[in-house]
Amino acid sequence: MVQSFQVQVLRWCAVVALVALASVSPAGVQKPPVVAAAASMNAALTAIAAQFEQARGRHVDLVFGASGALTRQIRDGAPFEVFLAADDTFPQQLTGAGLTRDAGVVYAIGRLALFAPTGSPLTVDAGLAGLASLVRDGRVTRFAIANPEVAPYGQAAEAVLRRHGLWDAMRPRIVLGDSVAQAAQFATTGNAVGGLVAWSVAVAPAMAGRGTSVVIPASDHPPIRHRMVLLKRAGAAAAEFYAYLQTPAARAILKSSGFEVPE
Amino acid sequence: MDWTALGVSLRLGVATLIVLLPIGLWLGHLLATRSFPGKALIEALITVPLVLPPTVLGFYLLVTFGARSPLGQAFASIAGHALPFSFAGLLLASAIANLPFVVQPIQRAFEAIPSGVRDAAACCGLSPWQRFFQIDLPLAWPGVLTAAMLAFAHTLGEFGVVLMVGGNLPGETRTLSIAIYDRMQAFDDRGAGVMAATLLVVAVGTLMLTTTLAGRTTRRG
Amino acid sequence: MADTPLRVGLRQAGPIPLDVAFDCARGDVLAIFGPSGSGKSTILRAIAGLYAPADAIVRTGDRTWSDTAAGVHVPPHQRAVGLVFQDYALFPHLTARGNVLAALGHRPKAERVARADELLAQVHMDGLGDRRPDALSGGERQRVALARAIARDPAVLLLDEPFTAVDRPVRRRLQDEVDALRRRLDVPVILVTHDFDDVVRLSTHVLLLERGRVMASGPIADVMRRADLPWLRDAVGLGAVVDARVAGVDLERGLATLDIGGPALVVPAAGLTPGALVRVRVPAREVILATQAPAGLSLHNVLAGVVTEVHYLPGTSQVIVQVRVGATHLLAEVTGDAVSRLALTVGAPVHALVKSVSIDLHVVS
Repeated sequence: MVQSFQVQVLRWCAVVALVALASVSPAGVQKPPVVAAAASMNAALTAIAAQFEQARGRHVDLVFGASGALTRQIRDGAPFEVFLAADDTFPQQLTGAGLTRDAGVVYAIGRLALFAPTGSPLTVDAGLAGLASLVRDGRVTRFAIANPEVAPYGQAAEAVLRRHGLWDAMRPRIVLGDSVAQAAQFATTGNAVGGLVAWSVAVAPAMAGRGTSVVIPASDHPPIRHRMVLLKRAGAAAAEFYAYLQTPAARAILKSSGFEVPE
Repeated sequence: MDWTALGVSLRLGVATLIVLLPIGLWLGHLLATRSFPGKALIEALITVPLVLPPTVLGFYLLVTFGARSPLGQAFASIAGHALPFSFAGLLLASAIANLPFVVQPIQRAFEAIPSGVRDAAACCGLSPWQRFFQIDLPLAWPGVLTAAMLAFAHTLGEFGVVLMVGGNLPGETRTLSIAIYDRMQAFDDRGAGVMAATLLVVAVGTLMLTTTLAGRTTRRG
Repeated sequence: MADTPLRVGLRQAGPIPLDVAFDCARGDVLAIFGPSGSGKSTILRAIAGLYAPADAIVRTGDRTWSDTAAGVHVPPHQRAVGLVFQDYALFPHLTARGNVLAALGHRPKAERVARADELLAQVHMDGLGDRRPDALSGGERQRVALARAIARDPAVLLLDEPFTAVDRPVRRRLQDEVDALRRRLDVPVILVTHDFDDVVRLSTHVLLLERGRVMASGPIADVMRRADLPWLRDAVGLGAVVDARVAGVDLERGLATLDIGGPALVVPAAGLTPGALVRVRVPAREVILATQAPAGLSLHNVLAGVVTEVHYLPGTSQVIVQVRVGATHLLAEVTGDAVSRLALTVGAPVHALVKSVSIDLHVVS
């Protein structure tokens, strides 16, 4: 009987060993640099990274999130090497904390878009007249924006709604996404009539066929200046990618992905 | 399908078991067989991860081991990287979060053994170690298996803490549950769906394996 | 010290009050008898090392297992003690053989299985070695527990209420087997029980325990002839216990005579052979006293003796009178009125009248 117990232990150990073997990651020994980027950069940066890999034969890992959340993680020691924010202030905080090589560069100007999912009663227009009439009629079920506290596009969305005098009336109806990507997800699923999201997200290939959108005039909100910084821990590959982002090839992708590109 | 993320999830599950099972066996046995001052406090501390949101654990891990804390800097200078946003950090978080899942079933299983049986083993001349391996462990085996299964499955499903202290690093801290969230954010419903189904299959498989093993052990002793 | 196979001294004020000291010789069976909660099992656990009283001395032969004054406490697994638990405490995941094997760790590996089967055969469990406890009857489990206890080649055998969980007929058989076994073992045996039947049938010595304190102790005949044990009277009734040899058997009359060192005691002959050792118990309530030998009675035993003790039971009108008959003593429970009418005082000659059928008797060997 005692032997039988030992057999049981052996059998269990074998199962554990098998699972452990199977779970060994196929990832290479030399880890590629990790690039952290604002959620609005998802489609554009994925395309740029693919092109970079093709042109230079180097791979970078991409991590997307709200600029504020990523800033917090960098300050807590996250091993990112390049940070592409969706605004100015978060990278500047990192520079102030001495975590970056230099003050970085503004690589894109973001635009906001009003988005209505297929089947929504909301008709999209740059002046938000359709949204205003829904608000008047009390037909706004939910309306999605990114959390202004951690996402620059959320701050811009709040500014737009305030400018049109809709903020106070809509406040109870607004759902906040952790990032502009989650806000877009809230706008497309669930029972939201729509949302204010990044233009880059609204025109992303993955969003095709999910609804209609219109770009909001840049003058309706403070400019969304996307700044990127090279972090102190960055290696040669990260630096190369950082430089590549400023090449005409990369800028062309940004332009076609819903961004304006500074001269 | 993000195979790397599946690998991270499985590796985290197995590593959590390797770290937690010895601790769970020791603590469970101690709590089941001894009474000592401070026992109630220890039991409460072990149970706390069960009732607190993962964000509380994440908060304390970041505050304690973040790059800005002395402890975090000390760890970074030794290990070469910060504890949060690394596999080791995830493992620590997972081990703490799963402590009640491991200790409690093991403790209950040891408690279910009549104290007379343990006394009889001592009177048979079995040393404490022999008693543990020949009497306690075989009798508590189904409980130990349940503990392992719960911890493994729970680790696969862990999301909150991983989101907070993981940093979503591919091959390191991007687990399958995070990858699913990530794919959803990128409007890749298909990718998310495949991974969700994979997780479902792995979870059901784990449960079935456990039931089969436990049933066989109970029948054979 | 080496000539005292077991010496025990335990003392503490609480939580379980204890104040006992006794020796037990090789081949002796000391029955610890007392009401539940008197601390009987605690004494066994202290001897086995499972419990550590505040003040303890346990020595066996030349080895000291417990000596609190010297800071000695040998852990239970290093004490060669065989303990049969009240509920057997068999290992439920092991077979009968596995249970016995678990206690054979001190023997060379090669001979363990053979030894286990030999022990199982000794308790009449041959062929049942592959069964697990849940497939055994109460009596069979008891036997496995016994085999496991002696498998360790113990220096002391401890039996904790060993027969409580089995019914009467099985109990009798087990009592006989235990009796035979302990004669072969030749080690001190401590038997804890709250069943007087176990005491009379198995023990050579008895220790009466109440709330952790020794009320009386000594060879069973010496303790059982005492008149001043009201607790024992209330629990089981007083009655002298006498070991005797069968002097003769008269099959025609259906009677046997026992040699009790003086006048012969006549008992029913059933199952008796000349020369056999028997133990009889004469209940005090069944003994009648007379100052003169009566005639024309149906009973056989009219035993001439002398009053050696008169004990008035406090709070009652009953009196226990101890009478020396030849080399033994009998007890009689009579009324205070009878004592004064018959003028029963120490030294007075008296006749003890005992019905032969009122005598409890069992064959020792």
